[in-house]
Amino acid sequence: MKSAAILTLTAVAALVLGGCASFRNAAPGDPLEPINRGIFSFNSTFDHYLFKPIAKGYDAAVPNPVKKGVSNVFQNASDAQSIVSDALQLKGAKMGDDLGRVMINTTFGLGGIFDLATPMGIERGNEDLGQTLGYWGIGTGPYVVIPFLGPSSARDLVGRYGDGKIDPVALVSSVPVRNSLMGARVVDTRVSLFPAEALMNQAALDRYTFMRSAYLQRRQSLVLDGKRPKEE
Amino acid sequence: MKFPKWLFALFAATVFASAQAETAPDALVKTVATDVTNVLKSDPGVLGNAAKLRDLIESKLLPNFNFGRMTQLAMGRNWAKASPEQQTALTREFQTLLVRTYSGALANFRNNTIDYRPLRMQPTETDVTVKTVVNQANGQGIPIDYSMEKGADGKWRAYDVVVAGVSLVTNYREEFNAVVRDQGVDALVKQLQSKNK
Repeated sequence: MKSAAILTLTAVAALVLGGCASFRNAAPGDPLEPINRGIFSFNSTFDHYLFKPIAKGYDAAVPNPVKKGVSNVFQNASDAQSIVSDALQLKGAKMGDDLGRVMINTTFGLGGIFDLATPMGIERGNEDLGQTLGYWGIGTGPYVVIPFLGPSSARDLVGRYGDGKIDPVALVSSVPVRNSLMGARVVDTRVSLFPAEALMNQAALDRYTFMRSAYLQRRQSLVLDGKRPKEE
Repeated sequence: MKFPKWLFALFAATVFASAQAETAPDALVKTVATDVTNVLKSDPGVLGNAAKLRDLIESKLLPNFNFGRMTQLAMGRNWAKASPEQQTALTREFQTLLVRTYSGALANFRNNTIDYRPLRMQPTETDVTVKTVVNQANGQGIPIDYSMEKGADGKWRAYDVVVAGVSLVTNYREEFNAVVRDQGVDALVKQLQSKNK
């Protein structure tokens, strides 16, 4: 139960840190801002000293084609997850696309190492259970920063839990293999965030606010499949 | 009747200028993006050369953005709280910040291709969204939309850029609003200035 202990510690640390953060008028959609800010700063520190150096090391040490293959395998797993959400949203076209992608990439793409479906013009459905809840009218709920993982919302947290249950990587029976895969996926994701991170550091006055706004807008856009409600 | 040559030239220039000014917004985005990518492809050294990069951005990109409108939208209700001097300072600093951010992001765009989505617009419209998709080397397409407005001079200029559903103006509106609410307009100007140093 090591991980549970770490989580509890983190939550406590976050509460303490959050309590120290200056109280502001809460922004709409972020009633937990003081706590969130605490976790955000914890995550930033953790990232700076441990996570990012590992990802940088991986990025520098591993040749590009290998990195690409690794990304593709995880992408393929997430395309498979997406099928469930496509179905739950009755999006037949997306479901066909994701199904086709997974079948092509898993077989001819050697277990997903090669993404042959994209050059064939089959786009990713890119759905998840958080989006599915949103599609059926469930609101975002409060913005939440998760320890180690970063931005989310009450709704997406629920979706994330469900997606975890249908995660092909989590279904791997050998524990060491599964854990290695999960670790590799985290590193792969972190590497993919380098450009966005550089942009944010250049652009943001306050990284917390910047990330919150970007996250919530991005999720809304995904729920609406890119159709953005016109403001004003 | 003798038609003075200079008058003809002036007339021609006016017609030419108005024809230029009425470039359709989608065509404008395409021209600008193509110009910039061509420069980056033919002279990759530009990316490592701060002065050249700034030149490129100032000559090709800046004239096509309405930074005044952008700043005003990003300030939202707080715009009215700012004095004219503060408004000028905000617009200037915001422009500098965006130019810097853009220079940094350009490096990632060199090897990408851009798809332009067809734009359906009525001739009378003065506010449209030009949709593009930037195809990255990894096969992922990032949708980038430009909100554009026709100015009094008939020229279209962008006042917001929406990347993968994230509006630049909305993002900054939250940031600006938080600073103004807690510390006032002057503090925001100062923060932007120190960010730009």
